[in-house]
Amino acid sequence: METGANAPSTSRGTGEDRKTKKSVLLTLVGSGGDGVALLGDLVMWMAAHQGLYGMMVQSYGPQIRGGESAAIVRIATEEVLYEGEEADLLLCFRLSDLARFRGSMRLHDGSVVILDAVEEGTLPEWLGRTGRAPLRYPFATIEEGREVPGDPKNMLALGLLCRALGWAKGLAHAALEHRFGHRPQLLARDVAAFDRAFASGEVPALPRLVGRGVPLVVENGNEAVARGAMDAGLRFFAGYPITPSSEVMETLIDELHGRGGRVVQAEDEIAALGMVVGASFGGVPAMTATSGPGLSLMTEMMGLSSMTEVPAVIVDCQRAGPATGMPSRTEQGDLYHAVYGGHGDFPRVVLGVFDVVHARDVMHRAFLLSETWHLPVLVLSDAYIAQRRQIRDPIIETHEAPRRQRWTEGDGPSRFSMDQVTAPFRVPGTPGGQYMAAGLEHTPEGNPTADGDLHQRMNEKRFLKLETIAARTRDWCRTLGVAAAPKGIVAWGSQYGVLREWVREHPEYRAFLPEILHPFPLAALTEWRKGLESLAVVELSYQAQFHHMLASLTDMSGARSIARSGGLPFSLSELAQRLEEARP
Amino acid sequence: MNPKDYRSALAPVWCPGCGDFGVLKGLTQALSDLEVPTEKLGMISGIGCSSRLVGYLNAYSFNSVHGRALPVATGLKLARPDLTVVVVGGDGDGFSIGIGHVPHAVRRDVDITYAVMDNGIYGLTKGQASPTTELEVKRGMGLAGVDERPINPALFTLSSGCGFVARTHAGNLPHVRQMLREAIQHPGFAFVHILAACATYQMPGYAEKLFQRCEMLPDDYDPTDFSAATAAADTTGDRFRLGILYRRPVEQKLAAPADVTRGRADNWSPLGGATEAEETAPGDRG
Repeated sequence: METGANAPSTSRGTGEDRKTKKSVLLTLVGSGGDGVALLGDLVMWMAAHQGLYGMMVQSYGPQIRGGESAAIVRIATEEVLYEGEEADLLLCFRLSDLARFRGSMRLHDGSVVILDAVEEGTLPEWLGRTGRAPLRYPFATIEEGREVPGDPKNMLALGLLCRALGWAKGLAHAALEHRFGHRPQLLARDVAAFDRAFASGEVPALPRLVGRGVPLVVENGNEAVARGAMDAGLRFFAGYPITPSSEVMETLIDELHGRGGRVVQAEDEIAALGMVVGASFGGVPAMTATSGPGLSLMTEMMGLSSMTEVPAVIVDCQRAGPATGMPSRTEQGDLYHAVYGGHGDFPRVVLGVFDVVHARDVMHRAFLLSETWHLPVLVLSDAYIAQRRQIRDPIIETHEAPRRQRWTEGDGPSRFSMDQVTAPFRVPGTPGGQYMAAGLEHTPEGNPTADGDLHQRMNEKRFLKLETIAARTRDWCRTLGVAAAPKGIVAWGSQYGVLREWVREHPEYRAFLPEILHPFPLAALTEWRKGLESLAVVELSYQAQFHHMLASLTDMSGARSIARSGGLPFSLSELAQRLEEARP
Repeated sequence: MNPKDYRSALAPVWCPGCGDFGVLKGLTQALSDLEVPTEKLGMISGIGCSSRLVGYLNAYSFNSVHGRALPVATGLKLARPDLTVVVVGGDGDGFSIGIGHVPHAVRRDVDITYAVMDNGIYGLTKGQASPTTELEVKRGMGLAGVDERPINPALFTLSSGCGFVARTHAGNLPHVRQMLREAIQHPGFAFVHILAACATYQMPGYAEKLFQRCEMLPDDYDPTDFSAATAAADTTGDRFRLGILYRRPVEQKLAAPADVTRGRADNWSPLGGATEAEETAPGDRG
């Protein structure tokens, strides 16, 4: 795993790089039923198939289904973790659909714009200007002045996109075959529509990107979490549907059974974590996945897992806001809850996910820690990672799954022995190992007690786990940029993507991102920040939770806070503006 | 093994005269009858006087948090189908804070036995009304909810589709033993409603009156008749009918999905590492 490594130094921001296009950004806007998400998926599949990298994010309204939606697809010759802002191509079936995306997309001088021929309006001012006249293509089928069902618009659009990208017809056919091969009638209709648009051939060409020639893998953050967990030994999952994490459960429903595991859709998140604790008490590596509201419900069970020393992995795909908030939007506002949430004092570990590729690795680390130290491990993903599709290198490395140390007959220590940080786990079925796991404070043997002195010593024993873990995870962080750079940024989680690009373009900056948020790799941060002239903490949290957490650990008096809510990730241009404002 | 072998070294903290003593004894007898190996016994509870019971057994026990015993037990049994899993708890734990889990545990039909010791009061917190406290008790003792009807646990589980519902009284030891034995043997979710008087916080005379209100189901009662079961479960006539109220015919049980098996990672097989053969044997119960 990459730890403390510098970012690849291929591009150093003189502005040149952005002109010598190594990537192309496609912005596809439609309404429910137009199928822009499918269109984006197909483009991603075709890119991956020819060895190009890419990333796709989707944007919806609060209702999750129906309404306007946009697929933003960036295709590139190297790995991308940030989708970018300025569209090289904007495709929009109805101008009225654009309004909802004000501020989240923009054009540049050379942007190609494709509109429906029936659309007579002009592009809104806020979108910026392109030197090219929009291409107007007859997507809608009109009879007697009214739109009637006709060729699927997204397939027509795919034909035009392939023309613009210079991609072969056969590649698109293969993509459609891959996707709809099991539905021949639909496939024939889609191919016909695609061919018709492809044949029209009047689309301006976008910069040509050359792939590696070997097929790459398309995966979203939730799939990566699910598959990383399976690779790390997951055999029992219980969850409750919630945006934006449901796909973790859906992926496991499809894939865990084949690997000898079991998925249960629980009646609520309390039950979900309860089942996970029960399964893990039985000796089986277990996990749940949820989002903020679910994490709130799981809080008591987190304490139970820690108190009874039963391993549990909890994935929280953070969404925006408290209560119901904005389910399809992203934020980093569950940090306090993950690190501090719950009654009483109990140890837990909190990890942060940087991107889709990292999600797989971090799941392995989560199981390693929980299975070794018998405590709850929270993995904080967010909507920005969970619901993006990212093209990644094929997975070749397989870690060996962690093994929980087992108590065997006659082999000594009581379940909650104070003589060691973590006593071997007594797995039900082992003769002579019978004991009681209790949420009540207990003796080393597991018997309930109200002895205040014993409670204190048990706390010392349980919290010793965090010290032990901290000693072994002191380098669980990533840095970006060169050590001599005078300006520093500290951030966590999905900020990794945009900061990677920021540091490439601004070599006077370097960045530090912890992989483990609790216990925090403080020594690494202290070492890294030496020689900095300025420091900013970048996060998506109204209260600046990360900044405050850091301030409770170390001197942050000189650091500036760049923190907001809003539900949308930071863009490079916003960072530029805010870092300028934040200058001391 | 003898019933005594199922007891741990811990002495119960229950009040003298508590009905839970009878349940503890009846349960150890039933486990002894069935020769359940103690290391294969998973005893799960929530919080309350009766939930303390799991600590008094020689088993892999889990005294979890209030109202959440059923999810914990469901996870354990689904992950470890080779274990015998029994859940015990009180009326507040199961039918107030934990009631949301009951119908779902029932409809999943996981092979768990759920025994609720219903004394119609919160004993551990010293005498508040529970969801099964009768109106007269609440009125007589000045408890909250004098205008709230109690829940009938047997009817509730029946209406949720429970395949085995029995009712017994903690003072009738042979009957407790028999009902628990039948419930543990039932291949699916089994519910046993155990009437058990609280010796400390119930109204004076409650225990005697409760005992007098019980009557055995007639010998010719057909437990596979759902309509008869709902009538027998009903207590509006002030009578508690004891026995197996309902037992779903075995042929109506839904096919269960395959058990959790050892996967490629094989890091959890409970008793040592898996062999090559085990790794490729789907359906292996670990």
